[in-house]
Amino acid sequence: MSQMVRSAARSVFASRGRFLLTGTAITLSVAFLVATLVLADSMRGRAASDIAEAFAGTDAVVQGVSLGEPGGGPGDPARSVRQSLDPDITERVVAVDGVDRAASQWSGFAKLVVDGSTVGTGTASDVGRNWVADPALNPFRLASGRPPTEVGEIVIDRSLADDAGVAPGDVVQVLTATGMHDATITGIATFASADAAPLQRTVLLPDGAASAWLDMAAPTEVLVDVAEGADRTEVLGRLSALSDAEVVDGPDYIRTMQDAATSPLQFLNVFLLAFAVVAILIGVTIIFNTFALTVARRRRESGLLRAVGAERRQVLGGVVIEAAFVGTIATLAGLVCGVAGVGALRWVVGLTGVSLITGPTIVSPISIAIAATVGIGATILSAWIPARRAAATPPIEALRESAAEPRVVSRARTASGLVLAAAAIAGGAVAVVDSNPVWLMLAAAIVPALVLCGPAIVTASARWSSPAARRAAGVSGSIATGNLAASPRRSASTALALMLGTAMVTVFSIFASSLTSAVGTDVREGLRADLVVTSATPDFSTIDPTLAGRIAELPDVDSVTALSIAEGVVAGKAQAIGGIDPTALPTMYDLDPIAGDLADLSSGGVAVVGDDPARLGGTLEVEFERSTIEAPIVAVVERSTGGFEAPAYFVDRATLDGSVGRLLDAQVFVDLADGAVADAEEDVSALVRDTPGAFLATQEEHVASSGSEIAAFGNFIDGMLILASFIALLGVANTTALAINERSGEIGLLRAVGASRRELRRIVRLEAALLSFVAASIGIAVGAGFGGAMIDVAGGAEIPSVVVPWLRLAVTLIVAVAAGVVAAAWPAFRVSRVPVLELVSRDR
Amino acid sequence: MSPHPDSTVVDQQSGSALSSNADDAAAMLVGAVKRYGSGQSTVVALDDVTIAFPAGKFTAVMGPSGSGKSTMMHCAAGLDQLTTGRAFVGNTDLSTLDDRALTMLRRERIGFVFQTLNLVGTLTAEENICLPLTLSGRRPSDGVLDQVVSMLRLGDRMRHRPAELSGGQQQRVAIARALVARPHVVFADEPTGNLDTRSGQEILGYLRSAVDKHHQSIVMVTHDPNAAAWADHVVFVVDGRVHDVMDRPSADSVLDVMKGLGR
Repeated sequence: MSQMVRSAARSVFASRGRFLLTGTAITLSVAFLVATLVLADSMRGRAASDIAEAFAGTDAVVQGVSLGEPGGGPGDPARSVRQSLDPDITERVVAVDGVDRAASQWSGFAKLVVDGSTVGTGTASDVGRNWVADPALNPFRLASGRPPTEVGEIVIDRSLADDAGVAPGDVVQVLTATGMHDATITGIATFASADAAPLQRTVLLPDGAASAWLDMAAPTEVLVDVAEGADRTEVLGRLSALSDAEVVDGPDYIRTMQDAATSPLQFLNVFLLAFAVVAILIGVTIIFNTFALTVARRRRESGLLRAVGAERRQVLGGVVIEAAFVGTIATLAGLVCGVAGVGALRWVVGLTGVSLITGPTIVSPISIAIAATVGIGATILSAWIPARRAAATPPIEALRESAAEPRVVSRARTASGLVLAAAAIAGGAVAVVDSNPVWLMLAAAIVPALVLCGPAIVTASARWSSPAARRAAGVSGSIATGNLAASPRRSASTALALMLGTAMVTVFSIFASSLTSAVGTDVREGLRADLVVTSATPDFSTIDPTLAGRIAELPDVDSVTALSIAEGVVAGKAQAIGGIDPTALPTMYDLDPIAGDLADLSSGGVAVVGDDPARLGGTLEVEFERSTIEAPIVAVVERSTGGFEAPAYFVDRATLDGSVGRLLDAQVFVDLADGAVADAEEDVSALVRDTPGAFLATQEEHVASSGSEIAAFGNFIDGMLILASFIALLGVANTTALAINERSGEIGLLRAVGASRRELRRIVRLEAALLSFVAASIGIAVGAGFGGAMIDVAGGAEIPSVVVPWLRLAVTLIVAVAAGVVAAAWPAFRVSRVPVLELVSRDR
Repeated sequence: MSPHPDSTVVDQQSGSALSSNADDAAAMLVGAVKRYGSGQSTVVALDDVTIAFPAGKFTAVMGPSGSGKSTMMHCAAGLDQLTTGRAFVGNTDLSTLDDRALTMLRRERIGFVFQTLNLVGTLTAEENICLPLTLSGRRPSDGVLDQVVSMLRLGDRMRHRPAELSGGQQQRVAIARALVARPHVVFADEPTGNLDTRSGQEILGYLRSAVDKHHQSIVMVTHDPNAAAWADHVVFVVDGRVHDVMDRPSADSVLDVMKGLGR
């Protein structure tokens, strides 16, 4: 055995060049795979464990009665809506027998303002909470400084402190529902051991300020610590007898919080999972290709060993040890590169700022295990399968110079691929016609269909493009297309990685453009105002309600109207309810009423967003936290005000204020007087600049930025896809370079009969370009078909129509082909280094 | 530039003139030395060889394994660089050419036939034959292709790929490729080494008739006395030196010399 190990190691070192290429392929694949997994883990973060740790001391939680559950789609609030608790709820909870301690928990909107500008952008919410004095019940821990005691003192979480660059003792401002407040930072806190609560930026206020600043009459929740020795179930039972309140067990509360913190990432998880699958496929494909290329040489080697008397088992053992040796070293290198790559990516993209990753980079043992298994496993399997075949052939046959791969594409393989492809297309068609997502599973069979049909596709495209290639590039073109067709299986599997990559890009591009268009259409078609003031975050209103009035007083401002949004529950579902001025709005934003009259909102009516005019005349019950209204439906409008949190219902502003109390504005529409537009715009701009939480956009800018939340998210996914394509292209480069190794005899011959180095390089580039073109076109076509079907079926009301971004797809195709040519640079360099004498010296 | 070597090229041992006039030479080596490696492990493959291969004649180069016969051919054909000395194809001094010019020379003035790996697997027989011409953007001149193809009896094989041809047919395609550009000289490296006797004789017959009918110059490296017997002259190489030259050889006379060389 040790003899075999030594001989394997010697064989590795003897053919360093070949193993360097193979090793590179394995390293790349493993690096990509581990990077994908680590990125996914880091994004999911430690939210779940942080929440469990933070609320470990909480036995039960008393909450307001639930009115409606979150809807979940874009346009629906992510949280459930609950009735307000009684102001004296905490005293009543403490009085319950068996309750040791109870702490009021107030939470609302609060945003940190430093030097006149708000801190933090991206997906996290800005939350204000009260500082819970009881350490056992407080989810936050003081990292430095002291707790806030007086109104005007605050503690902030550590990631806010880092983002803003502030420290205890600094004077800042806090924007809340009641306006701007001056505050002094007394301390920095952590959520359990994390820098911040999952997807939140938290400002912690003293008890007195919580009510006043957050504009709340009663606590949101009461955290309960059950006395030692008391029966928890009995205490829970007694608590649930409290009127106008609901009680949840500690573990259930933690679970709900965990779900809430991770559910916005579910969507991301699907993509990350898809990436991981593609990463594994690409990795295995590249490794398999690399080994397939060395089959001919392997056959001769094993033939020779067998001829001199090695047993089949010994030959196979040697190959497996050799592969394990290379696989292990390359996999270790890949793991290091992958983890380092995530670090580099975070640093380059500044992911922390976008707060998709709030915590540290998480390298879980499972990620390492998966990547290592795929790396080493695929390597050994890739070496073993051809070696077994080689060992099974008689030694003399193996020794004979023979073609590495049959040129003929198996008909049975192509036929079964075509059957699968037909089934996949039929599945997609049925899914679209039936609007049944189950059929999409069948449509996914297009991937194995591509794997099966790949060689036939490559052969066919090589044949079709041969005349064109010949016309464009002469005999080089013929040779390039010929090379592709000469080893259809290798070409096909090289192309497969790129195909999958571009298919993923396409699916996401279509998804993003359809969603952006769905979110942006209303704004594009409805907006009439010259200027729009928007909130700092899409999910909270942050505009000072006095701003609209101040803008209206400016000269050359024609009219101003504000939109406020509150959460309410309609028919058991949480919905966004808009408050508008029904007389002022229509000239600045056309909601497109199709039935009824918006003016009737002022008499207490409600407008429904929808396309069914028959709803006019009905009544609608809307439950808010503190009150319930029952209003007649006086209008049906086809448009809402756009964006993720677009209202599904509109009422008069006064009605909304009366139901939920004083609100910050979500948007302010401004119309300028005809003529002096530029000056007036400058005046408004100056006013808005001095108002934290408010941003000014022109009509064009606002239309363009509608749906930009998606665009920002899309950039991130694009980054990952670029990475995937990059790896796939490196695979193209690697396999092409290896193929040149294997074809060096023929290349020497070409040189001998008078092909110049430039011509050889051209052949290699043509080959790569052609393969990339075929792979990318098919990838885009498949991605468009599958993505289109998926959105059509699963898009529902949120994404009513499929929008194909033709320009973007064209760019993807061009980039893929260009990248293929760039990827061929290295093999092209290698090909020009093949000496003319290679041909002759080979047989000596 | 015209080469004027110091003396008429005469083989030192036998005194028989291989070519009476250097201007008649299809290819020529002057004071050619080729060393591989350095220091202790230096191998001298060519040791001060001066020889001219006459134009319009069929010359065979013979010698035991490791005698330097292949190196001699590679250097004469510009496939390998001499350590010192000069190599000429026609009037062109190969040592003055860069890679690009050498490529052009191989493309336009030299034809090659190798033992194996002669054809580009992805091209048809016709494309393989025309390869040197298409590489330089030319088409085979009228009649030449037809003439070569009919001489080699390849008419019905032109659309086949190498994998679909027998060994003999493949070598015929290779010869057609070497001849079609009407090169100054054709170098053949063991062209019959991989063939059975009958196919081998056929191939040699074609080479012979290319010389006789079209005044083609051919230099062939071989170890087979029966193959060498088809040539006009045989050059014997031993230890990197020209040992002997024989005119109008026969298989028996060649075999006698080879035996004398200690084989």
